Amino acid sequence: MINRNHMLWVLWIILSLMGMMIITGVIFVGGPRHLLLIGKTTAAHGQIELACESCHTTGLIDNLTKSPKKLAAAMTKACGTCHLEELNAANDSHPTKKFRGAKKAKTRAQLNAFYCQTCHAEHVPEITRPMAVSLPQDLCVACHTKIGEERESHAGLEFTTCASAGCHNYHDNTALYEAFLVKHGHGEDFLPDAVQEFAAISRTPAIIRTALDEDDPITALETYLNDRDTQKAEQDVQTTDNRTKAKEMLDLVLYAKDVIAPEQYQDQDAITAWESSAHAGAGLNCAACHAPDFKDTTDLALLEENWTERPGLAVCSDCHENQAETFTMGKHGMRFHPEIAKPRTVEADGPMSIAVHVFKDTPLKPTSIGQTSRKDLMKPDVHDMEIGNCNTCHKPHEVNLEVAGVEACTSCHNDDHTQNYFNSRHFELWQLELSGEGAPGTGVTCADCHMPKIEAGDSFFTSHNQNDFLRPKEKMIRPVCMSCHGLGFSIDALADPKLVESNFNGRPSKHIESIDWALKREE
Amino acid sequence: MSKIINMLVGGAMLAAIPVSTTSADGIDPADVTDMLHAVMDSDRTIYTKMIVGRLVAEHKLIKATENFEDDISAPLPAQMFRMGAEAVADRTDLFEYSLQSLWPINKPNAENQTELEKEGLKFVAENIGENFYGEEVIDDLKYFTAVYADVAVAEVCATCHNEHKDSPRTDFKVGDVMGGVVIRIPLEG
Repeated sequence: MINRNHMLWVLWIILSLMGMMIITGVIFVGGPRHLLLIGKTTAAHGQIELACESCHTTGLIDNLTKSPKKLAAAMTKACGTCHLEELNAANDSHPTKKFRGAKKAKTRAQLNAFYCQTCHAEHVPEITRPMAVSLPQDLCVACHTKIGEERESHAGLEFTTCASAGCHNYHDNTALYEAFLVKHGHGEDFLPDAVQEFAAISRTPAIIRTALDEDDPITALETYLNDRDTQKAEQDVQTTDNRTKAKEMLDLVLYAKDVIAPEQYQDQDAITAWESSAHAGAGLNCAACHAPDFKDTTDLALLEENWTERPGLAVCSDCHENQAETFTMGKHGMRFHPEIAKPRTVEADGPMSIAVHVFKDTPLKPTSIGQTSRKDLMKPDVHDMEIGNCNTCHKPHEVNLEVAGVEACTSCHNDDHTQNYFNSRHFELWQLELSGEGAPGTGVTCADCHMPKIEAGDSFFTSHNQNDFLRPKEKMIRPVCMSCHGLGFSIDALADPKLVESNFNGRPSKHIESIDWALKREE
Repeated sequence: MSKIINMLVGGAMLAAIPVSTTSADGIDPADVTDMLHAVMDSDRTIYTKMIVGRLVAEHKLIKATENFEDDISAPLPAQMFRMGAEAVADRTDLFEYSLQSLWPINKPNAENQTELEKEGLKFVAENIGENFYGEEVIDDLKYFTAVYADVAVAEVCATCHNEHKDSPRTDFKVGDVMGGVVIRIPLEG
C-alpha cells in the first residue's frame, strides 16, 4: 500500500516542477528575461542579450533530446547568421574545414574549432579577454608547436606575442600574410599626394549643382556626361544622347517652390536645407520619405493622413540598401539585423489568440547609449539618446555628410582617441579640405577610418558596419590606412596603443619586425 | 556471329564483376579507393596540363599563384586539389582524401601524417607504378588507407616546387614522384 505521505511528496514535487516551468515560461516569453541571464554577454552582444532566441535557436525539446555536438553546431550556425559573411570576406585563416578529418582528432581534442563557442564562450565575463576570447592566451600553441624550429625568426618567441604584436590574427590576416608583407613591404610611411579615392568622388560637389551655377547648365552637364562616357569607354565615342539626358536630369531638380506637404509640416528651415540636398537634386519631394506610398500624389489631405513625421531605417533602406544592410551589421544598428529574433506573431482568430496576446513580447527598440556596454566612454549627457535611427547621425534634410563624418561621432563618443582627434594631423587635413585648401579626399574624418567607402560593383558606398574595420585593428590596414600610408607604417602605428590613444599624434614608438623577417626570407 | 561474341563478352564481364570488385561485405575498399583516385587524378592532371601548363606556362595568358585571390590569378594545382577535398569533406564523411608528401611545402599539412601514411608515401616513391594499401586505427576508429603516387606531370610542377622558398627538396624533375594522394575510408562506425 502506498504511503499517503509519499503520494503527497510526489504530488508536491510534480506541482513544484510544473510551477517552475510555468514561471520560467512566462518570464521567457513575455516577462523580465534578464532574470534568466546566467551572466552578462560580451560587449555589443549586450544590445541583443534579451533576444535570447537569436543565438539559442534550439527549443526545449531539442535541448533535451539532441546530442551536445548538434546543439553546439546549431549555436555556431546562429553565430554565422551575423558573422559568417565577415569571416568569408576576411578569407578566414582558420576555417572549420581545416579541422576536419580523421587525423585532426588530436587537434580537435585540444582546440575544437568546429564551434565558435570553443573560443568565444558567452555569459562568462570573468574569463572573457579582448576580442571576446574566453580561452587562455596560449591557444595558438595547441597546433603551432614547431614554429620556433621551422622559422629561425620565431625561435624563442613567447606565445603571448602571436596575436598581440601586430603579427597574426586567428581569423583575419588579409593584411598580415607573408606574401602581402613582401609585396607591400617597401612602401613609404606617407604616400605622396595621398587621396582617398572614393571619398574624393563623394566629397566633390555634385555635378548637377555645379552645372546649375553655369550660364548654360544643359551644355555644362552634357559636357560632363560626355567626358565621363569617354573616360569609361576609353575612346572618344559618345554612345548616348547626353544632351537629352542632361535635360532630363535638370528637369528633375526641385526647389522650395515645388514643395508638396501639408501646411503644418512645412518647416522653412527644413525646406531651405532640403532644397540644396541631393534628395531635391534627384527629384525627391517630401512625400518620398514622409509618405512613400503616396509620393506621387498632390492630395494634401491624403498626405496628411499618411504622413510619418520621423521616417526611420525602413524608409531610408528603400534607396540606401547597402548602407542600411551594413548599418544593421554594426554596433549602431544591430538590433535591426534581419536575423535578430522577432516578436511572436498573433493569430487574428482562433482560440489561442488570447493566450498568445498575453505572452506576446515586444520588438526591440533602438538601444539608448546608456544601455550600451561602453557607456563609460560616452558623454554623460547623451546617455538617454537612442542609436539605431539614420537621423541620429544624419541631419534628415541636409543629408550633410560632413556632420555625419565628425560631429555626429564626437557628440557622443568621449574616449581619449576621439578627444585627441581634434589635435591630430588627420583633423588638420580635414580642416584644410573644408576650407578648400586641401583637395577632396585628403582630409580624414572619423567616418573615413571607421566607416570607409568601399567598392561595390562599378561604384562604392559608405559601409556603416564600423565593426568590420575595427576589431581586430589590423582590419583597417587595407581598406583604410593604405590609402595614404605604407603597410609597415600602418602595422607599426596600429600596434602602438599609446599612439592609437593619441589619435596618431606622433610616430610609432616601436617597430614590428614581421615585414623585415618576410623580406629576409626572400633573399 | 558478332552478336553472339558480344553477348559472350558481356556475360563474361558481368560474371567477372562480383569476383573482382566485391567481397562478402560489399565492394572491396581498395576498388573504391582506386575508383576515387581515378577521378581525382584525371581531373588534377587535366587542370595541371590544360590550365596551368597551357594557359600559364605556354601561352602566358594568365598566372597561377599561391595567393590567387589577391593576385586575381588561377589557383595552383595542389590548391585546387585541396579545395576539392575540403568541398567533399563538407558533403560527406564516408571518405576523405588529401595530398601529402615527404617533402612538404606546407608543413602544417604534413604535421599529422600517421605512421602508415608515411610508410605509404615512402613505398610509392620507391616502387614506381605501385599503389599502397593498409589499415590503421585513428582515435579508436579503423580506417582503410590507400596511397597513390603523385607524379610531376608537367615541367611547372617540378620548377615550382624546386623554386619555392619553403620546399625542403629542390631537385625534382618531370616524372618524379613528389608525394602521394592519401584516401581514407572508415571501416566501421
